[in-house]
Amino acid sequence: MSEGGKESKTPMVYICGECHNENEIRPRDPIRCRECGYRIMYKKRTKRLIVFDAR
Amino acid sequence: MLGGPSFKNLTSPDFGTPPKEQNVLLQQLGYPQVASFNYMLSTGLDLAIKDLRPLDIVANGVKVKVSIGKAKIFAPSVSQNSMNVTVKSVYPNACRQARSTYKGPMLVSLDWSVNGAAQEPLEVNMGEVPIMLKSNRCHLNMMNPKQLIESGEHEQEWGGYFVTKGLEKLIRMMSLMRRNYPIGINRSSFTKRGPLFSSLGVVIRSTKLDQSAVLNILHFLTDGTCKMMFRENNKNMYHVPLILLLKCITDANDKYIFTRLMEGYEDNSYYAECVQNMMRLLHEEGLHSQDDCKNYMGQLFRLKLRQMPAHWTDHQITDYIMNDMVLVHLDNMDDKFNMIVFMTQKLYYVQSTNLVENEDHLMLQEVLLGGHLYNIILKESLRTYMVNMGFMLKQLLAKDSSNVMTREILRKASYPKGFAAGVEMIILTGNLSINNHSAVGQNVGLSVTVENINRIRYMSHFRAVHRGASFMKMRSTQVRQLTPDAWGFYCPVHTPDGAPCGLLNHLTTNCTITDMPDRKLVANIARTLAELGMVPMKQSNVIEKKDYFVTQLDGRILGYVKKADSSEFEKKLRFLKIKGDKVPNTLEICMVPDKKRAPQFPGIFLFSGPARMMRPLLNLATSNIEMVGTFEQNYLDVSIIPSEIYPGVTTHMELSKTDFLSHTAKLIPMPDCNQSPRNMYQCQMAKQTMGTPCHNFDLQIDKIYRLQTPASPIFRTTHYDDMDIDSFPMGTNAIVAVISYTGYDMEDAMIINKASIERGFANGTVYKTENIELAAECHLQRPPDQLEEFIDADGLPYVGRRVNNQEPLYSYYDNNKSKYVVNKFSGGSDKIYVHKVRIVPGMKMARMVRITYRIERAPMIGDKFASRAGQKGICSRQYPVEDLPFTESGIFPDIIFNPHGFPSRMTIAMMIELMAGKSGAIHGLVHDATPFKFNEEETAIDYFGRLLEAGGYNYYGTESMYSGIDGREMKAQIFFGVVHYQRLRHMVSDKWQVRSTGIEDAVTRQPIQGKKRGGGIRFGEMERDALISHGTSYMLQDRLMNSSDKSKVSICTKCKNMLSVFHPATDNAAGPPKLVCAFCQTSDNISSVELPYVFKLLAIQLGSCNINLQLDCKEACT
Repeated sequence: MSEGGKESKTPMVYICGECHNENEIRPRDPIRCRECGYRIMYKKRTKRLIVFDAR
Repeated sequence: MLGGPSFKNLTSPDFGTPPKEQNVLLQQLGYPQVASFNYMLSTGLDLAIKDLRPLDIVANGVKVKVSIGKAKIFAPSVSQNSMNVTVKSVYPNACRQARSTYKGPMLVSLDWSVNGAAQEPLEVNMGEVPIMLKSNRCHLNMMNPKQLIESGEHEQEWGGYFVTKGLEKLIRMMSLMRRNYPIGINRSSFTKRGPLFSSLGVVIRSTKLDQSAVLNILHFLTDGTCKMMFRENNKNMYHVPLILLLKCITDANDKYIFTRLMEGYEDNSYYAECVQNMMRLLHEEGLHSQDDCKNYMGQLFRLKLRQMPAHWTDHQITDYIMNDMVLVHLDNMDDKFNMIVFMTQKLYYVQSTNLVENEDHLMLQEVLLGGHLYNIILKESLRTYMVNMGFMLKQLLAKDSSNVMTREILRKASYPKGFAAGVEMIILTGNLSINNHSAVGQNVGLSVTVENINRIRYMSHFRAVHRGASFMKMRSTQVRQLTPDAWGFYCPVHTPDGAPCGLLNHLTTNCTITDMPDRKLVANIARTLAELGMVPMKQSNVIEKKDYFVTQLDGRILGYVKKADSSEFEKKLRFLKIKGDKVPNTLEICMVPDKKRAPQFPGIFLFSGPARMMRPLLNLATSNIEMVGTFEQNYLDVSIIPSEIYPGVTTHMELSKTDFLSHTAKLIPMPDCNQSPRNMYQCQMAKQTMGTPCHNFDLQIDKIYRLQTPASPIFRTTHYDDMDIDSFPMGTNAIVAVISYTGYDMEDAMIINKASIERGFANGTVYKTENIELAAECHLQRPPDQLEEFIDADGLPYVGRRVNNQEPLYSYYDNNKSKYVVNKFSGGSDKIYVHKVRIVPGMKMARMVRITYRIERAPMIGDKFASRAGQKGICSRQYPVEDLPFTESGIFPDIIFNPHGFPSRMTIAMMIELMAGKSGAIHGLVHDATPFKFNEEETAIDYFGRLLEAGGYNYYGTESMYSGIDGREMKAQIFFGVVHYQRLRHMVSDKWQVRSTGIEDAVTRQPIQGKKRGGGIRFGEMERDALISHGTSYMLQDRLMNSSDKSKVSICTKCKNMLSVFHPATDNAAGPPKLVCAFCQTSDNISSVELPYVFKLLAIQLGSCNINLQLDCKEACT
């Protein structure tokens, strides 16, 4: 099953909805918090520069 | 209740810190539902189980009996086999976010015996059933505001609803016939029940303690006899002659039955004749004794009731019918006999006096509560489960050659297939799959989604009582009428206009729904009544019934009270009720007097049961608060204010003048100064306002409307503070000039100051969530080295990024097709941001992604606004501030309101609000808008006028203004002030629709309807009429043919047929073959005409019915 993500799978960081622990999760990992086992994860706000026109 | 409204939230130092305890008034909203669910958990379910008939099976010579011994429901928790989970409990907010159901496991233990030998009970896990929030099985129960906030709820959460598939579902309150009280009604459909049936009947909705109900009707037949109707499992109707029924119940002789039926009516010779005739008819059938009757009934019903065990005797079957289908609220045969005697007497009384009762009156109604319906659902589901288990057991036993009943066989047979899922579906969809009709009266639309558009909408869901879906279709308006007995229980203002008008009512603020009373107190009532002078049933054979009132408690005859002593008796009983230590204080004491023109069948009817509407009144005799029910209120003399009291007559007084209003109506400022329909419109519009529906926007998944800059109204009722609406504010205080300016404000249009909008006036946001669930072979990933601008490394959008229409949104790798797939965002022209991205367990797959968008919605032309007086308007123009008129002090209005809106609508409250708002703004005050505070002597206008004068303004609130166009002073004085304006959720961005060409209907080839599918707006019959009447035939042709389903049709002018023309099959490739008419066999007379395609369709359809459609054709004049 390696043909799909041939690009090295960089883990993404998600925040647990229960304990707010930051979890590193790879694309096909199960979605569960390593600390508390909670199964709802939030994506972090992007750190990229976001500029809106103030018009 | 507080003294008056105040701006306490502005100055209070602990604003924002959760209170120690929840607001009692708000907790009342969910209380009836929660209490009924708790009753189900504590007693109702046990009673329901006891009521189920045990399985009694004989197969292969083995006698097996199975019954449900215990059933238990537990709090929601993470499934047992998941590991490393620190928090075992599941909370409702997690369910909302993950689109799952807040449910807890239900366990059942089966008691069973083989050949009479009891076996060890078998535990069966029935699956997980939905749990009501804040019930005793909910984790939120007993939490304080701080803990509630920590678990993702609001500090004032009142529960009472379910969370199924992420949606908040409420079992809607529905009015049902008052339980255990025989009602004499005249219903024309009764005549269709059989030969000789009249339209008269005495109906009783007999309800057990487990809340399941059975309808029994004693029908009057035109030959003077009567028959009792009962049903099997609320399905098939059976009618049994009265005397046969009585004889099945009692073994007394004819003389006893006759004297009992005649008690009190000894001098009514017609009645006596009828009773004698009925008795004679039974004897003519050869049925003399109870034994005869029971055998006869058993024989007849053995064939009808298939599910009875075959080895039951006729007597057993008859007893089963009498127990389970006739007056099921009584379990004593003597009580049943007494009640049937009473019903018979009432039937003949109603027949002779024509004193029929009206079911549409609130006094004869009660309310269906969530927990009670839940109990019925569980009972019926368990009944089906038992039946299925019986089939399985028989099959398994027949297969098994060893003829031994084992635990393993029972385990197999007792597998609860689809049990919990079925219960969940009922709550989710509101559709009842079981056939328990008379218990509920309908089997669709039992639950509603609790929409949280704003606080008022959310709250009003919990106070709404629906009359039932079957009444929606009724053509007569009688059921929709507001009857006088609904005073104080149903709000006369708060009902929607349109289809559900009068059928969907809202309870008043003080109206409560009774809970199950203390059963010890109820059991004690009979003794207490005897102490007060009631002659108990057992000693009643010596009294002259004519001088006595029959006394019933919850449909059970307890005894008789002497008519002369009855008012004294009632008074004493009321004292005890108020005290509440001997009889419950929710007891409803209905003394129907025996007057010359009696309104109803006289007697003393007591009700202690749950689900009744009650409201507090001041008892003048004791100066205490007494709870009064809908029935009993009719026979009390209630004054509204002290000056109305007639000494010696008036017994009760209202607690406040505004007690007849609902929560929503109580928030309208000075409704007493408005024309009444305006208040109804405001109740509707308050529920569509954008505001602050919640505080946990980040945890929400529904479509949420939010007003960015809400303000606390300056002119408001005390109820606003009582309900703590300031925590969920909606609307903004706008500077309003009542002036006809520019003409852009005609016909309910309004001009809004452009600078105000740019400063944030009425700016709003909509939150929307999209779900993405990928197939198992796919996983989210960004294509390598591509689309980095739009998509994050995990294939999902960047949180916080603004997304534009048709931009790449997310991408995944499809293993089946071995390629990357990029999905684009479609969101129209709105300003949309990715607000939150959640990864949650999916419905079908392991995971689901939920993307929440934040859509900015600044006011624009076409958006809807309204003041709080039913004055709605559409923004027609955003006017530049430099062109707007201004006052002496240099103030520009936010909103220009056209003065023509006032004369016909007579919304004086809005004019008062304008003055009050202005004076409040000058002096830094908040004014009380509670109705009935001002009167003709001290008018509101004078009060606020003098305040305005004190602030240096004109007494009437008018000001000189200068034109914004040329700067000249206007001659007219302009009415100018502050009004609280609401922004309604109807916005053009959601509604505009445009189409040039597009998809067409496959059958008619006409353009389709619907905004979502890119359809058009129908040019309908009425529009067609308009064009015809204008004589604009070219336009008519354009709309109905050229721009619709124009098609070229070939026609044979000789045989006038358009279906006979066809292309013959040709073999030469010389050229296209000519069209040929199949009838004429030539191509000479074929010509082509333009017709709407539907016309050809019609011709084809007529042709299929063997009807030939001929068209006369003429050469077109050119």
